[in-house]
Amino acid sequence: MGILAWVIILGGLAIGVLVGLNVPFLIPQLYAKYLSVAILAALDSVFGGIRAAMEDSYDNTIFLTGFFSNALLAAGLAFIGERLGMDLYLAAVVAFGVRLFQNLAIIRRHLLKK
Amino acid sequence: MNQKLYLSVFLVALIIGLMAALQFRTTNFIEQGVPLGRSQELSVDLNQLNAEKKQLETEVKDLTQKIQQTTKGQASGRQDAYPTLAKEVLVGELKKARLGAGLTAVSGPGIEITLDNPSAEQNKGLEDTMFAIRDEDLLHLVNELNGAGAEAVSINGQRILATSEIRWAAPFINVNLTRIAPPYHILTIGSPKNLTSALEISGGLAEYLQSLGAKVKIQPYENLTVPGYTAPIEFRYAKPTKGE
Repeated sequence: MGILAWVIILGGLAIGVLVGLNVPFLIPQLYAKYLSVAILAALDSVFGGIRAAMEDSYDNTIFLTGFFSNALLAAGLAFIGERLGMDLYLAAVVAFGVRLFQNLAIIRRHLLKK
Repeated sequence: MNQKLYLSVFLVALIIGLMAALQFRTTNFIEQGVPLGRSQELSVDLNQLNAEKKQLETEVKDLTQKIQQTTKGQASGRQDAYPTLAKEVLVGELKKARLGAGLTAVSGPGIEITLDNPSAEQNKGLEDTMFAIRDEDLLHLVNELNGAGAEAVSINGQRILATSEIRWAAPFINVNLTRIAPPYHILTIGSPKNLTSALEISGGLAEYLQSLGAKVKIQPYENLTVPGYTAPIEFRYAKPTKGE
């Protein structure tokens, strides 16, 4: 990972945040919950990608599909749970939360080993 | 290959930044406003209150119409005095109606009649004809009192109305579906002299009851209070006709 990669990542984040802060509309309250779960899933994918990169098993296709499918699946799960009167989004929160911390721990070890 | 990688990383970073910022703003907005559950609750409340308001509006319309009708019926008086005048008339009418129906406690001159069964000691001699005051005796008494111009009658606190029953429901007597037990205190408002003489006339009810062994005491009062009928009156079958 060179400096260029960091520039790209931070630049992308910055542009995204800027756009997000300045778009004229807001997510309706009803869907805010789904979006939050989707963000969690996306973060999980990102950390999974970083971990894979550190393990030298990074696959761009897997990363991209995982990123979108996880986010959509998490939001869809929350939506279905809402329809069924069940807090299914909690399942997504727990599952992705646990994986996120696992990934973080593995990344930390890789960094320490270096 | 590398370009593709950078592009996808850039895209992912962009999307995450976008979503996080949007979510951040939305959450901030929600905290400033009303939480979702609360707003649903409030909207339910709002619907209920709207329905209530509609109902009250029709009631207001109805009452306004009535007031208008009443004021129309008044020939004299200043224009702006109409509403209060009409209200006074209506309130007066209502009071009169309640008085007539026996729904209000009334006071005035009258008599108190105390009836009691003969004591066991008195009954010793005539055990086979054990006498107790029955519903007919009270009915006779009320009838006599009404005939003598009684304006309000109550038996043991039960106001006698047009619909009141005095009925033997062994071993008690029911008045207004309420059990009453001896001694019976009958309060009556009317001319004490007329009422007393109606009962004490030779061969009258007092003499008759006394001859059977009942204890009868008649006490005139300058001022006594007869309680009003307190239970709600329901008309399930009777409907007013259009004539009135």
